[in-house]
This record gives sequence, structure tokens and C-alpha cells, in this order.
Amino acid sequence: MKMSAPYEGQTYYGQPVVKTPPYDWRIAAYIYCAGLGGSAQILSTLARLSGREMGDVVRNGRYLAVAGTILGTPLLVSDLKTPSRFYNMLRIFRPTSAMSIGSYILTGFGGLSTLTAMGQAAGGTAEKAATAVQLPAALAGAGMSMYTASLLSGTNGPLWAATPRALAVQFGAAAMANAAAALSLAEQKAGRSHVSARLDAVATLALATELAASVVAKEERQARGVAGPLEEGKWAKAYKYGALALGVAVPLACHAANLAAPPGRKKSRSLSILGSLAVLAGGMVLRQAVLQAGNESLKRPADYLRFTQPKAGHWDERKVGSLEGRAAPPRKAAISASEMKPRDYTTGPRRAKDAAP
Amino acid sequence: MGVHPRAQDYPESFLPGVIPDESELTVGTKIEPGKRYGFFTDTTLCIGCKACEVACKEWNSLPADNMGLSGMSYDNTVKLSADTWRHVMFVEKVDGATGMQPFQSNWLMMSDVCKHCKNAPCLEACPTGALFRTEFDTVVVQQDICNGCGYCVPSCPFGVVELSMADGKAHKCTLCYDRLKGGLEPACAKSCPTDSILFGEVDDLVERAGKRVEELHERGVTDAYLYGAPNTPGATGGLEQLNAFFLLTDRPEVYNLPPAPTRPANRLAPGLLAGMAAMAGLTLAAAAIFSAPGEKRR
Repeated sequence: MKMSAPYEGQTYYGQPVVKTPPYDWRIAAYIYCAGLGGSAQILSTLARLSGREMGDVVRNGRYLAVAGTILGTPLLVSDLKTPSRFYNMLRIFRPTSAMSIGSYILTGFGGLSTLTAMGQAAGGTAEKAATAVQLPAALAGAGMSMYTASLLSGTNGPLWAATPRALAVQFGAAAMANAAAALSLAEQKAGRSHVSARLDAVATLALATELAASVVAKEERQARGVAGPLEEGKWAKAYKYGALALGVAVPLACHAANLAAPPGRKKSRSLSILGSLAVLAGGMVLRQAVLQAGNESLKRPADYLRFTQPKAGHWDERKVGSLEGRAAPPRKAAISASEMKPRDYTTGPRRAKDAAP
Repeated sequence: MGVHPRAQDYPESFLPGVIPDESELTVGTKIEPGKRYGFFTDTTLCIGCKACEVACKEWNSLPADNMGLSGMSYDNTVKLSADTWRHVMFVEKVDGATGMQPFQSNWLMMSDVCKHCKNAPCLEACPTGALFRTEFDTVVVQQDICNGCGYCVPSCPFGVVELSMADGKAHKCTLCYDRLKGGLEPACAKSCPTDSILFGEVDDLVERAGKRVEELHERGVTDAYLYGAPNTPGATGGLEQLNAFFLLTDRPEVYNLPPAPTRPANRLAPGLLAGMAAMAGLTLAAAAIFSAPGEKRR
């Protein structure tokens, strides 16, 4: 494993320095729903403005945007530890908090998308009004697609914080690929493979962007010595095989084969469908793996201490003196970290456990 | 610091009520709104008695958490948590036992606490406004507003604030907000028998801490330095200054402190701008793909 690790010294009995948020699969599922819905609104708007016969993409995109909000919001609220006070999120606006910014993006996007979908359902003049509302909805959709990356990198989780830019591009591109894949599947079902082909081209471009961002993100993590949880362990496997191989490589191969087909020949319907399904599955694995690996990275004191090593000029060296000159800390603790878990004496059968053989 | 003249007004052991501006008698500082208050924790004076932990638990009515032995030297408290707002750490420096420091028998002890940062990442992360800055320049959680989103938890660079699963709200040290309002110094500082924990106005404490470092250097403890005072380790990455700062004698990592912590809010703009740029690029590309002349419909 390539790691430029300037700090390999002592930790405090292997105890984490920072604390882990109570975020589980629901937050990752919300990130997925938010991205899919947000980008679907963008594609729907583009389809409406293109003037081509893409009426179904317009309609499906508008409904997907609302579906993303309707599915995503309860996931978020249920992850609060006092869910009955969810409305306190809109009590103030805090521009330094990605959570606060995101609350307003979600509220705006949800409201505008609902109006758009209602106009779509009503038809006629209402549909024209929906088109006017859809432009700001699409802008909010762009926010929904990628703000969730800043939600993670705007913390002190080393794995997330090491790469704020690349993670935002990765999540945004993944959201666009997910939305294009979902809309493409619907077009294939309706038998309009020529529309699917355009959506698959969008997905291909988004996947290429996602791949490039993932390479940059990996390098940035390795440079800071915090790549661990995405290079070993179960979330590393999920990320490599689920998010990158299944979610990016497989669909890229499928769509590329279709795009490279000579103009006269009919494009393969099954390759398009397979590619789209792989994108949708991989997108979910990506969010789960990045969230859980980040949680794991917060629990690794050495990763955080490496992440917070000073750069030159961080403080007044004349006043403080160089930390390098101080007595080197012992390399190893006397007992390994796993042995030092505090034992819970308050529960369980004490006697049976304590009885000597 | 001699006895304050006002102390002679209270010769009895049992007083009928709270002494007005009691902090004037105990630390020589009158607590007034608008001034900045904090802690200076001098680890060279800590004897590991944990009186601060007990005083904190008692005053704030905090429940006990881990009732076992941790195997981490004398530290069975293990960490700061929703129910533990002072935590005395014990570092046994076994490897350096041949060259002993002139204090503490090579046994480092430090009473850890919320740092009440000048730019507090927990406060900056809080979307509900439950975390706020008080008139004493301290950072406090209002449990009647907190909805338990937990975003302050990974935002704290020092792992201080935590959600309590008992009530689903965030909890941390309040620097005894209620005591400050009543003119009393915080419980931990008042109970500290060696004055390892000093309470006072931050600027005043920084000045005194600087003198203490000089004094220690003169006495041969050349490793002594401040953590969290302006332009020192801990006060980095946009945090600027920690209102509760420390005097340390080994690398910060040894005390489970990050040497150069950062302010997460500084990472927002780069992330959001890069994300929006990527979305704009992909949108333009999708628009081009949608409007490109295509094959005839089959």
C-alpha cells in the first residue's frame, strides 16, 4: 500500500481522537435519492428545452425528482435522534454548515419539484407554468446532486475531509449517471431506444467524470495517509467491486460497445439495460461505502493524527520550538488496542465469565 | 496571590447563601458579561486526582458511564462524552524512564475538557442554532432546541461533543454557564487542589501561561509549550485560539490532541464550487447530446 505517512507514533491507548457521527445506511440512501432526483430534474428540464420528442423523459424526470424528495426526506428525519424536532433545521440559516445549506436546498428543491410535478399531472396551461418553475428546480437539483459530498467533507472525518473537491465531483457525476440510467431504463421499456441512446451517452460522460474524480480522490487520500478504510476491509471491497467495477467499469463497457457500433447497425437493447442497472446499483454502493469507510476512518486515531500534521508556518516556531526536537514517543503501546476495550461490568452474567477454568 | 480582602467578610464555615461575586475571592476575577473566559490547564501541575471530574459530574448532575476498568493506566474514564465533560488522561512514559523529568515521574497527566474554540466548528456546524456563543465567549448546547442531528459530533476537531442516547440531544462542557451567571468560577477549576486548572479571563490567562512556560524553561523543563494559545499548536487551521488551552511537555499526539487541527467550514466553498462546476459541465454536455442531430427513428 502506497502511503506517505509522516506520523507513525503513539496514540492514546488506541482511543479515537475524534468522535463518529451516528450516521448509518439511511444517510447514504438519502444521498443516493437526493442525487438521483436532483439530476433527473436537470435532465428533464434539458429534454423540455431541447424541443425534441422527449416528452416521456420530461414527465419521468419530473416524477423522479419528487420521488427522490419523498423517499429521501423521511430517511433524513428518521436518522435524527429527536425526529419530532426536524423543523428546527429551518430555524436559522448557517452558511458555515453544509447541513444547514442542505436543509434549504432540500426544502427548495422539494417545493419546486412538487409544483413542477403537479403541473405535469394537470397538463395544459399548468404544464407551461411547470416549465417556468422547473428552471429554478433544476438549479436546486444541481445542488442536491453534489452538496451531500460537502456534507461529509465539511467535517473532521479524515477520509472525507482529505478530498473535498474530488468527492463533490464524484458524487455529482454519479448522481447524473444514476438519473440518466433511470430515465434510459424507462425509455427502453417504452420501446424508444433512440432516446435511450442519448441518455446512455450522458451516462457514459458522467461515468467517465466520476472515474476521473475517483482517481484524484484516491491520490489525495493516499498523500494524506488516510486512504486505509477504502483500501482494506469490507468497505474497501464494496467500493472497489461494487462502486467502481460494477457501477463504473461495467456500464462504461456496455455503453461504449453500443456507442461504437457502426451507424447502420441496431444498438443492443440488453447492453443498454444491463449498463443502466449496473449504474443504479453501483451508485448506491458508492454512497454506502464512502459513508461507512469515513465512519471507520474517524475511529482510527493514527489516520486523524496524520491528517492533522502541521505544514510549515502553522504556528510561531520561535515561540513554541520545533515539535520534532521533543522526546520521541514510544512506537508501541504495551497492550494492543483491541485488548483495551473497556469492559462492561454493568450487564451480563458476571460470575460465569469470571470463573477461572 | 494572597487572600482577597473581601474574604474577611465571611469568617463562618457555613454560609447562609451564595457569596456575591464569589469568583473575586477564589480566583481574583469578577465575572462580567462581554468578557472572554476560559481555562488554562497546566499539565505539569496535575496530580491525576480526578477531583475535577467528580466536581463536574456533581455540579452538572451527570450520570456515571463506564463502571469498569479500562486497562489504560489509571484512566478508567477513557474519554470525554455526553456524560463526562472533564477527563483526566494518564500517559505512562515507560521508554524514557532512564532520563526523568524533574516532575511527575515521567507520568504525564492532563485534565481534558471542551476547548471553547474561538471559531468553534461544532457551533459552525449546528443547523438548528442549538449551539450558541454565550456572553462569556463560551460555547453551549441548548438541549431544548437540539434535534439530535449529530452534525456537531464529527465536526469537533477534538472529539468533545457527543449525542446522548438517553435523550437524543448533544451534550458537552458548558464552562459552567450557570455558575458564571451566578458569579462562581466553574466547578472543576474550583475543586482543583494544585491549581492545574485555572479559570479566568482568556487574555489574562494567556499572559500568565506565557510566564509559566518561561519559568519552566528556566527550571530545566525545556519541553514545555502552550497548546491552543494564539500562534501555537492547536490554534491552527482557522480555529485561531482555544479559550480552554493547555501547557504540555510532549508532542500533542501523546495527549490525544491533534497537532494542527482544522476548521471544517473552510472546506465547504472548495467542495461546493467544484461540485457546481462539475454539474454545470455535465449539464452543458447533456444539452449538447440532447440537441445533436440523431439517427432517424426506427
